Amino acid sequence: MNKVFLQGLLLIFLFFGGYFLLAQIDWINFFSVNKIKNSSEKKLGDILWSSIKNSEKECYDTEVIKGIDSIVTKICLANGIDKDDIKLHIIKKDVVNAFAMPDGYLVVYTGLIKEADNAEEVAGVIAHEVAHIKLNHVMKKLVKELGLSMIISATTGGSDPQVIKSVIKLLTSSAFDRNMEKEADITGVEYLLKAQINPEALAEFMFKIARTDKVSGYFKWISTHPEGSDRSKYILEYSKLKKPVEFKKVISDKTWALIQERLNEE
Amino acid sequence: MQTIEFPFKVSDHEAEKASNSYLMSLIAVIAGLPLPILNLLATVVFYFANRRATYFVRWHCTQALLSQLSLFFINSFGFWWTVSIIFFDETISSNYIAYMIIVLITNFIEFIATIYTAVKTRRGEHVSWWFYGGLTDIICKK
Repeated sequence: MNKVFLQGLLLIFLFFGGYFLLAQIDWINFFSVNKIKNSSEKKLGDILWSSIKNSEKECYDTEVIKGIDSIVTKICLANGIDKDDIKLHIIKKDVVNAFAMPDGYLVVYTGLIKEADNAEEVAGVIAHEVAHIKLNHVMKKLVKELGLSMIISATTGGSDPQVIKSVIKLLTSSAFDRNMEKEADITGVEYLLKAQINPEALAEFMFKIARTDKVSGYFKWISTHPEGSDRSKYILEYSKLKKPVEFKKVISDKTWALIQERLNEE
Repeated sequence: MQTIEFPFKVSDHEAEKASNSYLMSLIAVIAGLPLPILNLLATVVFYFANRRATYFVRWHCTQALLSQLSLFFINSFGFWWTVSIIFFDETISSNYIAYMIIVLITNFIEFIATIYTAVKTRRGEHVSWWFYGGLTDIICKK
């Protein structure tokens, strides 16, 4: 009996000991896991963006691009995010929408900028989307909704236009799951606080646009889930937990007015 | 693993049944790769079907069942870890890869041992595994 018990113990020890020894090796680098992951994400992001670029009109107005880009830069700088990781593109469309795509693509519609009352509201939305990118929500959502095989088939060889279409539809018109949205809200607030931008603007903007009919797709969904009032509540509660921050204007009133002027001219 | 003299003379029919208990788990490996519980179920069904069989058959059914039981826990953990990586927030880590390598090694050793034992028992030879053999001696009463 004792012999069997000792043999059993030795077997367990061998199993876990072997595991412990193997776990000391950096397998991620050994198999270049991150490299493979990043290259397929990059490929997918590029394919999706070129497809959107072909079907939509991109905004090339330097004042608008410069203004919005400086908001992104400010958020990135304050939070130690490499600005090159975020690829900002502005689409000329009178719809309130903004979404993240694989490999750090951040697409903002001019309709959203026009609908915002101030630059802080746009900054709130950008912080929320950057959070989705940095938390790797985009790839997680795609794998969950479409399956790994479909993602691989979209990035390898002659990618099926039908697959690309469904991926774009998924990213532009359906939301992340509730937990991911909340996580992006909280991380977004953290980004805003570090950049000395008032996070209340994000809550207010979501609350406001949920009641307009210009909103569509993904943004319609996230502005109503969680309910605007719930979102305001936990955003405010979270902001209070952090040490008080002196808020500053994300861009000058003059720049903001110029952006609005340019967009309304078009 | 060692081949020892069995106290009784083993008939051809008994040897075939005892050998089948190992083959059951081998066949189930194919179906059981995505769902580890299938391996275990196959040996459990075979074990219960042979509860009233001769000592030699029962002994080998028990040894096959015990080895599959431990493999079931090891594989299930790996299976659910993989599921959580694909569908949930878990990410591929060095710990995960290390676990999968040890799972693969364990399954390979078990696979070879099972084939070896299935062949030997078919010839009527009694093969007792290290630890599992001793445990089977305790559980399986004459």
